[in-house]
Amino acid sequence: MLEGLSALYMREIKRIYRSIYMWIMLVSQPVMWIIFFGSSFSHVPSEFLQEFFHTNNYIAFILPGELSVSMLFVGMFSSMSIIQDKRFGYMKRIFITPVPKYYVFLSKVLGGVTRGLIQVPIMLAVAIALGVSLNLNLVSIVVLVLALAFLGIGFSSLYSVFTLWTSDWQAPGVIANLINLPLMFSSTALFPKAFFPEWLQDISNVNPITYSAELGREVLLSTDPNWSYLGILALFALIMVIIGALLSRKYMTAE
Amino acid sequence: MSVVIAKNLTKKYNDFVAVDHINFQIEKGEIFGLLGPNGAGKTTTIKMLTGLTSITEGDALIGGISIKERPNEVKKRIGWISSEVIVDDDLTAWENIEIQAKLLKVKDWKERADAILEYFGIKEFKNRKAGKFSTGMRKKLEITMALLNSPEIVFMDEPTIGLDVNTRASLWNLIRQINKDYSATILLTTHYMEEADMLCKKIGIINKGKIVALGSPEELKEKYGGDVIEIELKDGLNVELNKFGQVIRKDGKISVKTGNAEEVLLGVINTIGSNNIKSLRIKKSSLDTVFLNLTGGSLEEEGEFDLRKFNMMMRRARR
Ligand SMILES: Nc1ncnc2c1ncn2[C@@H]1O[C@H](COP(=O)(O)OP(=O)(O)O)[C@@H](O)[C@H]1O
Ligand SMILES: [Mg+2]
Repeated sequence: MLEGLSALYMREIKRIYRSIYMWIMLVSQPVMWIIFFGSSFSHVPSEFLQEFFHTNNYIAFILPGELSVSMLFVGMFSSMSIIQDKRFGYMKRIFITPVPKYYVFLSKVLGGVTRGLIQVPIMLAVAIALGVSLNLNLVSIVVLVLALAFLGIGFSSLYSVFTLWTSDWQAPGVIANLINLPLMFSSTALFPKAFFPEWLQDISNVNPITYSAELGREVLLSTDPNWSYLGILALFALIMVIIGALLSRKYMTAE
Repeated sequence: MSVVIAKNLTKKYNDFVAVDHINFQIEKGEIFGLLGPNGAGKTTTIKMLTGLTSITEGDALIGGISIKERPNEVKKRIGWISSEVIVDDDLTAWENIEIQAKLLKVKDWKERADAILEYFGIKEFKNRKAGKFSTGMRKKLEITMALLNSPEIVFMDEPTIGLDVNTRASLWNLIRQINKDYSATILLTTHYMEEADMLCKKIGIINKGKIVALGSPEELKEKYGGDVIEIELKDGLNVELNKFGQVIRKDGKISVKTGNAEEVLLGVINTIGSNNIKSLRIKKSSLDTVFLNLTGGSLEEEGEFDLRKFNMMMRRARR
């Protein structure tokens, strides 16, 4: 029964790993973040870093944050992939078969998430190469990947929902503009909560990126992880994917 | 039993009626043609029959199954070939076929796919990316995909649009061959009357969403045919020609519909006066004159193919 879904998912994956440009993007984007943004606090006194960031290396702080933020960006690729299939007519080819529409939705979401997760080993390797000491073991890696996968499923679903009924190339960019920056800066991905005014702290408390970034820090920098964060992220993923699947059954268009 | 029975099939886009209560039947093994100019409602009809768009009114039975009530059952039993050739250029031919087979839940698709590719002479290229295929090969790949599930009917929307003369001729052969060798029942749409004339056993002429005539090419010519004399007069002249046949005036041209043009030609020229004629053309009875007689319009003119638009579409589709 899942044959149709796996066929569509494999198509997404093949299109990702066969494109050299996709690889350039996958590798360069997180590396640039870590190297350039991560180095911007190099001359900050280490007492300051310890007090506010609970680490003496800003790169260690930003690593889980940037991994979380990149799961926000993969949502954009899910929705772009939907638009592309509509534009090139491929969606009609799919819709002419008995495969349920929510399979198409799920394949786009899972394709986007997979794409985001490919960045995890790349980022960890870069961080280690830059001298960050990470607490890597089976548990920490599984928890990190799960947290990011949940976050990615949630955001990819959100993005995809907005492109169910349109074939406008501009749509993903507009959505990105509306949600990426606010979500990124209202989370604790880049800066600690202590920096924020109260209203921003309130937003950050309901921002899923915060939970993924914090949990990532806890497992990678070996403080005690707050397991409930994983539950919150799973709930976020579940709710978004159910909403998306239901809407796609009714509203997804072929062109 | 009829493979397709369309009953009052109707599609409205808001208030605009794109397909207007059409009725037709397609018998097993037949090539049925929907012939009509651009915007007549051909694509919309196929979209309704394949479940790509909702049906406003009426219904269609495909292999006895209602597309309205059980679309997924119908979708398993049909094949579809788009006018713009839709395959995934980033995947190999074989991968394209594999996805199609899995979405259609076809068992033993590998053997069948190999056999069809062999039949088309493109089996050796099956592991090549579809984006590297020529237009003809892409068409063959698309037809392979459409035949995978041994469909009860194959829908082909303007299969030869935008093809050069040679490719078009070979595609005609291909369509005839699969009709015979794979006993494929085919519904094709076209605005080329010679295509409908040559390929189709039965034709529905569609204009402005309505089927205006239905029958074999011979029946249609017999019933609605007749020759047409098309005359362009020198500026400012007007001549009464009603005694030679029905007269239609359009875009500065006079069309005289008549049974046999040769019989009245001399009379027409004498009536006008030969030095008052700018141009004169005889159109022998054909589906084009059938269309003219039925609608007062011309397939050629109204169906004017916008090459620039089509090329843009192809470029978009192929990146
Ligand atoms: N999605 C749509 N919304 C509104 N009008 C449409 C839509 N699709 C087609 N039409 C209109 O319906 C008519 C029939 O279109 P179509 O079936 O594509 O014609 P054909 O395939 O015979 O050229 C045209 O006038 C077209 O503009
Ligand atoms: Mg059309």
